[in-house]
Amino acid sequence: MADEAQLRALMLKGLAGDAAAHRAFLTEAAGMLRGYFRNRLRTRPEDAEDLVQETLVALHTRRDSYDPNYPLTAWLYAIARYRLIDFLRRAKHRSHASLDGIDVRDDDPVYEASDARRDVATLLEKLPEKQRTAIRLVKLEERSVREAAESTGLSESDIKISIHRGLKTLMRLMAEEQAT
Amino acid sequence: MKTDDLIEALARETEPAKPQPWRMKLALTVLTGLVVAGLLVAIGLGVRADIGVARMPVMMKALFSALAAAVVLPMAVQLMKPGRPLGWRIGAALIFAGVSLLAAFIALMGEMPEHRWEAWMGGRGGVPWCVVLIPILAAPTAVLLTWLMRSFAPTRITLAGAAIGAISGGVGAMAYAMYCPTDSVAFVTTWYTVAIAVCAALGAFIGSKFLRW
Repeated sequence: MADEAQLRALMLKGLAGDAAAHRAFLTEAAGMLRGYFRNRLRTRPEDAEDLVQETLVALHTRRDSYDPNYPLTAWLYAIARYRLIDFLRRAKHRSHASLDGIDVRDDDPVYEASDARRDVATLLEKLPEKQRTAIRLVKLEERSVREAAESTGLSESDIKISIHRGLKTLMRLMAEEQAT
Repeated sequence: MKTDDLIEALARETEPAKPQPWRMKLALTVLTGLVVAGLLVAIGLGVRADIGVARMPVMMKALFSALAAAVVLPMAVQLMKPGRPLGWRIGAALIFAGVSLLAAFIALMGEMPEHRWEAWMGGRGGVPWCVVLIPILAAPTAVLLTWLMRSFAPTRITLAGAAIGAISGGVGAMAYAMYCPTDSVAFVTTWYTVAIAVCAALGAFIGSKFLRW
């Protein structure tokens, strides 16, 4: 697993627009998040993976909130902790019983990747059409922003903004669907 | 969708991130809040009639309020982004509140005992209305600051809400100074501080609801 300096280097490259570095950063982050959430939601590994995915979208859409003057891991875990608190708050709201088995320990074992309980792809359907189309074309069908702009008749910046807004909405939908 | 596929999708077509010009936005937000609060005072309460001769105490009260907002500002700035430590910044706000209350005590001790109550409560049978009016005048700033804060990524939202409340309270108090008819030091350092603390408490409550993302 990458240390602070490596992770930070990947993040800064990603912020500068390096897609490969950003992918590597998210992959490392996923491992760290998985350990963090599984350890705190020990009886509910599917919820943990949902939270991993939700937090990855949060890290991505809010990546401009990273301040390079401070440690990257502090930024990452601050967001993870916030997503966990938000999740627990929501779970408490719905039923008290579902909080059983939540435990906080300091050591974070490493787990393997697995499927999440909910499917992000089906949540996409709930987005406004423009955002959904932009995300589908660029993020899932692997077309470039320019191609997406051409095929939809929207401008390139419109596509980029739609993707960004759509992903933010998606993260909220992920959180809302959870804890049911 | 598998997590690896999600990562693949997120990382596709990565654009350079644009840093947000937060200083300018924050300055404009606070300034707008101040202007709106000033207009509310001018229209709703009326500027005090003797503002011509009372310029000095009005300035002092506005300065005190501005200082209150200024000591909380560094904390709010830290809270806009995840994982930035608060360090001395909470202490600065608490020390300001402590010094204000101490100043109130010293000022009261300097008064003749029979005048103390009057100096503290703002006149015979006075009620410190500022505790109600300052939070109302703080509301426009609070709404704008909450909106600004939401565009960042606050992860300690109750604290962020409290900081927004205190800053807005300071801004509201600056405008309120134009109306406030009481100039006693003990009155201002006590009740303005209490009013701003009320704003912070309301802000904490509102923040925990409206700063979620």
